Amino acid sequence: MRMLAVFEKGERIRHIGHLDIQRSVQRGLRRSGLPVAYSQGFNPHILITFASALSTGACGKREIMDVTMAEEVEAETFVEKMNLAMPPEMQIREARAVDNKHPSLMGMVAAAEYDLMIRDETQGEKLAEAVGKMMERDEIMAIRKTKTKMAECDIKPLIYSLHAEKIDKRWHLNAILTLTERESCKPKMLMEALAREAGIEEEVRMLVTRERLYGTLDDGTLAALERL
Amino acid sequence: MDYCEKFEMALEKVQKAPRYTGGEMNTTVKEWDETPLHFGFCFPDTYEVGMSHLGLKILYGLINRESWSLCERFFMPWTDMIELMQKDEIPLLSMESRRPLNEFDVIGFTLQYEMSYSNILAMMEMGGVPLDGTERGEQDPIVVAGGPCAFNPEPLAPFIDAFMIGDGEDVMTELNRVILQRKTDGWNRERCLRELAKLEGVYVPSLYDVTYEEDGRIHAVKPNCPEAPANVKKRVVVDLNNTYYPEEIPVPYTEVIFDRIMLEIMRGCTRGCRFCQAGMLYRPVRERSLERLTDLAEKLQEATGYEEISLSSLSSGDYSCLPELIRTLMRNMKEKRVSISLPSLRIDSVLKESLEETQQVRKTSLTFAPEAGTQRMRDVINKGVTEEDLLEKVRDAFSGGWNSVKLYFMDGLPTETEADLDGIADLARKVVGEYFAVPKDQRARGLRVTVSVSIFVPKPFTPFQWAGQDTIETVFAKTEHLKKVLNIKGVTFNWHEPYVSFLEACFARGDRRMGKVLRKAYEKGCILDGWNETFRFDKWMEAFKECGLDPAFYANREREEDEIFPWDHIDSGISKPFLWREREKAMRAETTRDCRKGCNGCGLQKWKGVCGYANAGSV
Repeated sequence: MRMLAVFEKGERIRHIGHLDIQRSVQRGLRRSGLPVAYSQGFNPHILITFASALSTGACGKREIMDVTMAEEVEAETFVEKMNLAMPPEMQIREARAVDNKHPSLMGMVAAAEYDLMIRDETQGEKLAEAVGKMMERDEIMAIRKTKTKMAECDIKPLIYSLHAEKIDKRWHLNAILTLTERESCKPKMLMEALAREAGIEEEVRMLVTRERLYGTLDDGTLAALERL
Repeated sequence: MDYCEKFEMALEKVQKAPRYTGGEMNTTVKEWDETPLHFGFCFPDTYEVGMSHLGLKILYGLINRESWSLCERFFMPWTDMIELMQKDEIPLLSMESRRPLNEFDVIGFTLQYEMSYSNILAMMEMGGVPLDGTERGEQDPIVVAGGPCAFNPEPLAPFIDAFMIGDGEDVMTELNRVILQRKTDGWNRERCLRELAKLEGVYVPSLYDVTYEEDGRIHAVKPNCPEAPANVKKRVVVDLNNTYYPEEIPVPYTEVIFDRIMLEIMRGCTRGCRFCQAGMLYRPVRERSLERLTDLAEKLQEATGYEEISLSSLSSGDYSCLPELIRTLMRNMKEKRVSISLPSLRIDSVLKESLEETQQVRKTSLTFAPEAGTQRMRDVINKGVTEEDLLEKVRDAFSGGWNSVKLYFMDGLPTETEADLDGIADLARKVVGEYFAVPKDQRARGLRVTVSVSIFVPKPFTPFQWAGQDTIETVFAKTEHLKKVLNIKGVTFNWHEPYVSFLEACFARGDRRMGKVLRKAYEKGCILDGWNETFRFDKWMEAFKECGLDPAFYANREREEDEIFPWDHIDSGISKPFLWREREKAMRAETTRDCRKGCNGCGLQKWKGVCGYANAGSV
């Protein structure tokens, strides 16, 4: 059986990279005493995958791991034992047991919802105003940076939704953006386009929180990945 | 914005933010207001180095275990962070509750190597603590230090209020109690320091006066108040089994240098290698029992989830029941997929059997430290190891499927000649030969022999404390020679620049006046001297010049037998006549037996019941 577990990557540890998060989860599993399955071979490792790597610097509210268990385990037991074994910044929110035939989560990810907290109030104001204007455009050009090249692309089709909201004196942008193995729109790309729209030249300092990951239902509508 | 917010902003810009963020598994954040005594543990190097250090983990657990004290960690930030901290006026903050250094009652530096000294000044300044002890007021923390370099505390005397000499486990709590009493009874600094000086193993440098001869040598070191003893005895925890050892240790998120469980199986070493300061300072040898170790390993593994346990000591191969320990650990850990590694293997003590067991889990590269290339030179340094010992172990390793061997040597040892350097190459060549002697189908492919040659630094409390270090020019010439003779297929030669070793030698045997040089160099911008990219030798030389001191006086000068050393008032338990005797034997290339085979009268026998091998056998 496999356990799909939703976990948090807290603000304090947002600078921890994905590889280190993976290792920390693995050590947490080893501390928990839960019967996890190991790979065969010379350097055995825990059979675990993550639905999607979260960027360094971003917090995650509902990140998803997929752990292969060596024995049957109740989801509640999994959550309970893991939460004793994980640091406060990496607690498990919920878990769901699935059988080994359950499709790989990585291939099912379709989109991600982000909360982008703008640290500067004036900048936030300008950005919030620019949202409507930008979304009315036929195309929204942004720069996609890969390891080898930079290319301009239209991110409009990659934005499911975008709106601004002021919470406790700070502007937040809520965005649902495409995230697939084939193409995705990173929060940074969106912010560059929006800053341009708002006429902001200096760098926009923001706190990125990935709220949840989505897959799609048969009719194409988005649904929480861990429930699929 | 307060400094915590500014700190958060700085984190967005620095290279490696995780080294500053904390929140690791098994770290302790106690209630500040409800805990009377606040201890700031300062590791004067980066997070990755500090979090690899066993002493930090021991003292962190030990202080936090007491209901009345808390311990938070501080590390030396990297240069990019330092710039941001200076620009935005962010003080040095603790990893746990992000409080500035100067809010702690006592701050303690661990002195692991001399090249971290400038970081001590940098951390204090960033933390708002006046650098010089005489500049500190009643509101400032008491600054303490311990660790191996505390055995020659003099270069740091102006900056450190009190040094802890020897094993820290007992004296740490005693010291904290005194500082707690300062708080409750309202003692002033002076009173507090005098009380500290009464503790066994505590040296308060301001309570001693140093006078010099005209030529710069020390005339005398005398206490200037009744509380200060003429000689400060090092502390020894006699029974390691009943000494505190942490059962859970912080687990960093990011990879640090030693990212594993370190199980200290014993302390001290009976070999008596004459260059080795640790071998003298950590005497006598004390072992942890098999039962205690297997229990600790179990608990530490459960608390950390680590996948590797390394057995740590100066000479793990000498642990009396090593094969049984390894077998037990491997049996217990197999299910949990935990590998056991033996880091400081001495080439004459590893049983073939244990080698084969290590291999069962992971084939890491094997490390051997013959230290010198010829038998004569190995006899001079009393490294009781023969070429045949080494080659036999290497043979076993190669036929057991290893393909990677690291060999550690030193150059610049007393009495060294060109023949000794050539011996290093001969030995390397023979090691390569052993590999090719194993039939092709039985050996692993891709031979890698790494020869690392470091530069000998004479250290206090060793038989070579009287010796002059090779000058920088001589070291360069020797390195050139080594490059030539070590140009062997399959062999990689790692050498070191002599500048750092030269400065290390100055501090290792420096007196109080070296404190001035340190401060001057720090003011000129010297920090992180242990790192190539930040080490500024030219600035250090300027500092010497401006202080009117000659580095050669400290590093290269051959001392007379009767010279009074800056550290002579520190009692390490090892007697000066014993060390001189050892030096004389070294000059004659005569060896001294392992203390387990009979007491050599090093001096420890004067402390009754401390050394289990004292007075054993015939002297």
